[in-house]
Amino acid sequence: MGAMTAKVLFFGRLREIVGRGEDAFALTDGAPIDGIFAYYAERYPRLAEFRASVVASRNREFVDWETPVHSGDEIAFLPPVSGG
Amino acid sequence: MTSAHGYTGDRIELTRERIPAETLVEHVRTSGDGAVVTFDGCVRNHSHGRSTLHLEYQAYESMALDKMREIAARVHEQFVIDRIAMVHRLGRLEIGETSVFIAVSAAHRAAAFDACRWAIDTLKHTVPIWKKEFFADGAVWADGEVPPAPVANQESASGAAPAAKRAS
Repeated sequence: MGAMTAKVLFFGRLREIVGRGEDAFALTDGAPIDGIFAYYAERYPRLAEFRASVVASRNREFVDWETPVHSGDEIAFLPPVSGG
Repeated sequence: MTSAHGYTGDRIELTRERIPAETLVEHVRTSGDGAVVTFDGCVRNHSHGRSTLHLEYQAYESMALDKMREIAARVHEQFVIDRIAMVHRLGRLEIGETSVFIAVSAAHRAAAFDACRWAIDTLKHTVPIWKKEFFADGAVWADGEVPPAPVANQESASGAAPAAKRAS
């Protein structure tokens, strides 16, 4: 049984805080997406400051924070959007 | 005219080059149209009272394209239009350059105006693109808007709570 991982993407100011745009997260299958954010917020405390305005996505769809994550999923943490 | 994969006459793109506005207008205009309405979003030289030097746009490109295609599909559902072209530029942009361009064609002008307005408003609120503003004395990510719960892929979205509300 291979290691279960999810791809995690960071954008905007979150990417600057973490220092990279992409990471491989070693996963307990079905763990909520909220727990993944908490993992990074523990290592990069400034992330937590932005938690209230961050939206999560799983496989390119906005999802709520209780959404379970499975191996191979693409997770992203999205600060408020400002295109246009 | 429609298919499960979208509307074949539409053009939905991200680019790091100058946006070819005239080409997009010609692309959406067909002989059945009585109107083409365009929105040209351009880089202004000030923000919150500070002089802007230039901007940089970053996107979650695959998801941004998905969301832009969903907007186009919704436009076709909600408004009686012919074609829509929607192109957003990424990377560094100078003052006066076009960051986003939308062109909508329709048999009648009212639908084209309404659809174009709805498309840019929805893009600014839901498409994962971020703008960083560079000033003489530093740079900031623009405040932006918190996207609501997904609506484009849900036929009955009434039960879905916005992700942003859960986050607060």
